[in-house]
Amino acid sequence: MMDKDFAARRRRDLIIAAVLAMIAALTPLFVKDVVVQNILILTLMYAGLSQSWNILSGYCGQISLGHALYFGLGAYTTELLFTKFGVLPWFGMLAGGVVSALIAMGLGYPFFRLRGHYFVIATIVIAEIGLLLFHNWEWAGAAMGITIPIRGDSWLKFQFMRTKLPYFYFALVLCCLAWFVTWWLEDSKWGFWWRAVKDNPEAAESLGVVVFNSKMGAAAVSAFLVAVGGSFYAQFVSYIDPESVMGFQFSLLMALPAVLGGIGTLWGPVLGAAILIPLTELTRFKFGGSGRGVDLIVYGTLIVLISLALPRGLLSLFSRSKKTGATR
Amino acid sequence: MTALLETRGVWQRFGGLVANSDVSISVGRGEIVGLIGPNGAGKSTLFNLIAGVLPPTQGSIWFDGEDVTNLPAAVRCQRGVGRTFQVVKSFETMTVIDNVIVGALVRNTVMREARRKAHEVLEFTGLAPRANVLASDLVPAEKRRLEVARALATEPKLLLLDEVLTGLTPTEAQTGVALVRKVRDTGVTVLMVEHVMEIVMPLVDRAIVLDLGKVLVEGKPSDVVRDPKVIKAYLGDRHAVGA
Amino acid sequence: MGLLYGLIAVGLALIFGLMDVTNFAHGEFLMIAMYLSFFLFAFFAIDPLLSAPLVAAALFIFGAVVYLLLVRFAMRAKANAGMVQIFTTFGLAIVMRGLAQFFFTPDYRSIPQSWLGGKTISIAGIFLPEPQLVGALVSILAFAGLYLFIHRTDFGRALEATREDPGAVALVGIDKNRVFAAGWGLGAALVGLAGAIMASFFYIYPDVGASFALIAYVTVALGGFGSVFGAFAGGIVVGLVEATTALVLPPSLKSVGIYAVYLLVVFIRPRGLFGSI
Repeated sequence: MMDKDFAARRRRDLIIAAVLAMIAALTPLFVKDVVVQNILILTLMYAGLSQSWNILSGYCGQISLGHALYFGLGAYTTELLFTKFGVLPWFGMLAGGVVSALIAMGLGYPFFRLRGHYFVIATIVIAEIGLLLFHNWEWAGAAMGITIPIRGDSWLKFQFMRTKLPYFYFALVLCCLAWFVTWWLEDSKWGFWWRAVKDNPEAAESLGVVVFNSKMGAAAVSAFLVAVGGSFYAQFVSYIDPESVMGFQFSLLMALPAVLGGIGTLWGPVLGAAILIPLTELTRFKFGGSGRGVDLIVYGTLIVLISLALPRGLLSLFSRSKKTGATR
Repeated sequence: MTALLETRGVWQRFGGLVANSDVSISVGRGEIVGLIGPNGAGKSTLFNLIAGVLPPTQGSIWFDGEDVTNLPAAVRCQRGVGRTFQVVKSFETMTVIDNVIVGALVRNTVMREARRKAHEVLEFTGLAPRANVLASDLVPAEKRRLEVARALATEPKLLLLDEVLTGLTPTEAQTGVALVRKVRDTGVTVLMVEHVMEIVMPLVDRAIVLDLGKVLVEGKPSDVVRDPKVIKAYLGDRHAVGA
Repeated sequence: MGLLYGLIAVGLALIFGLMDVTNFAHGEFLMIAMYLSFFLFAFFAIDPLLSAPLVAAALFIFGAVVYLLLVRFAMRAKANAGMVQIFTTFGLAIVMRGLAQFFFTPDYRSIPQSWLGGKTISIAGIFLPEPQLVGALVSILAFAGLYLFIHRTDFGRALEATREDPGAVALVGIDKNRVFAAGWGLGAALVGLAGAIMASFFYIYPDVGASFALIAYVTVALGGFGSVFGAFAGGIVVGLVEATTALVLPPSLKSVGIYAVYLLVVFIRPRGLFGSI
């Protein structure tokens, strides 16, 4: 009876995702302009990143504005392993993910007992510390960063000079992965626990939810995925330094699409990224070249408007008509 | 047979304030016990102590033969203590069924099983027609029932009901009473805090009266109600007969 | 310097303590104050120290306006309330920075000849930079003034009352919106004061708010949200820590000390030193 509706909705989400993914996969055939390709790649990457951020901050309600830390850790781990030890980026990515997940959990111990604003500031602070530490770490290149040597195309080393296509597909896979993980977790023990913790931690406790553990789980998954994204970015741009991978702007860019599209929802981050990233890139391209800040004005205003008018994000425009509740 | 729940010499102090003083009570399996007393008697504090929200300043709490004094609330729930809150704490952003599923997940980690259990509980508590409604859209009486349903989904051995019948209309209260009886019939022990005497006394097997943090009297409802100490605690000296 | 941090922070603490809203655009308020000082100097040749009260007043109006036009609505949010506040003020910060970049260009400005800039005084044989000294003095005065204001005047009490119970104060004839607007104005004015002073010895550019903002949040959190005195104490602590760290570690790491202390304090006392939240 009712379960059938629910299962149907879940299947529908999956089908829509598959269709979208296929359409996305076909776009490179039609789009040859490098600039546009770039924007698409970045959009997909940020969609994946924001989706991952959403797991901890949207579903579990622990707003982090320091996720750039994991992004940077992923990038640095991968590149350090590659340039210093010759470890292939594929393994480096996994390593970066694991390192980030472990650090996220380690930070969770002291941080998860903090409430609200204290927590947010702590996340910002720790990311800044990370940035400053890397800035002064000689072995990791300090302020000079790391340049990844590119000698021709290679899937093994995940580097491509002549075409951006492989990057595109990787970003697509990453985005799909993040989406899929979210989809799967949404209707799982963890997903329910997270939402309960976000809504009313005391009540959750009374129902047997160990709040701390669930926060840790969310943090670990979120950090892992973001780190993989960071590793991807490093390979994509072939040069990293502390500001360019651990800067606060990444923490923001991971959070904003979710806020725009709908925090704590399955499609929110993707929708948000699809709107925000192209907008940002285009305005920066057209106006921002001289640093005139129009891009900032535009997306700052967008954020304010969305926060005020649609606190649940753009997605709430669509679900307001439906009255069926479960998992939304 | 050992009692399901025992508190032994429990004291709770908040700074200079003594909320519970040397409270030793026990609740046997299958009983419906009422915890009553005037305002400020320490009933809610005792409830929170039993539920594991905070540890007692002194004393111990035993559940099902195990010393649970130092176990946190979530673990106590896993052991079989379920509770409702006096000020309803539903998950407002989730639907009724999702609320209950959260509870069901303690014992049914497979989603399909948890769902099934949640449906069962909703049927049991009469909330099935409202399953897909957002908790925030429920009327207060329904929210109360949701509290109970959620706690029941955790398949507790002991259910702590914190003023679930207070402030209901007579009809709603009667439905509530019937529900509590139904719950006991399924084998769950019930400890309930209540104010409304006329409703509670016919329902409970035994009543424990708390006043100023201490256990005043306990026994059969009919006896307790006539006890002069109890009358004095509630109504003051002038009404006590033969103090 | 710590006292200046305190001054910046107290505006933030006030707003938060008043209505549970953290103003993520606080750094940008500072930035505007500094620019205002700059332009007053550039066009009217008014020294920043003199123009400080003017700047403060202007910021007061600005803060109140921000509340009335923006924050008031943000506070009405029922869903994701915390997030709405965070992102609304954040969005505002971004817009302000963008506008600044647009109108003022990202170039660094500075006020070359001011009464305070670049001068040092020697007290008991120790050379102290004048601007910082004066800044510290102004800070102390401002704090003292604020303290008196809150505890002695009617308005100050109205502020406290509204903080305790915004719903109830309507019954006693206090307009919650006016009080909040004034609160924001006051908070902004305080940071405006700081900005005016800092304009004499700091570079002025659109992103200048960001670095100070983080320090301000840390200061407030350190002292505890909701406590004016905490912001004051926090400022002193932060200033001291920063100075000591600068002695021990390379200059680019000087903020690490502050951050580390923040994390330590908040780990031990999740409410900050004097916090009431």
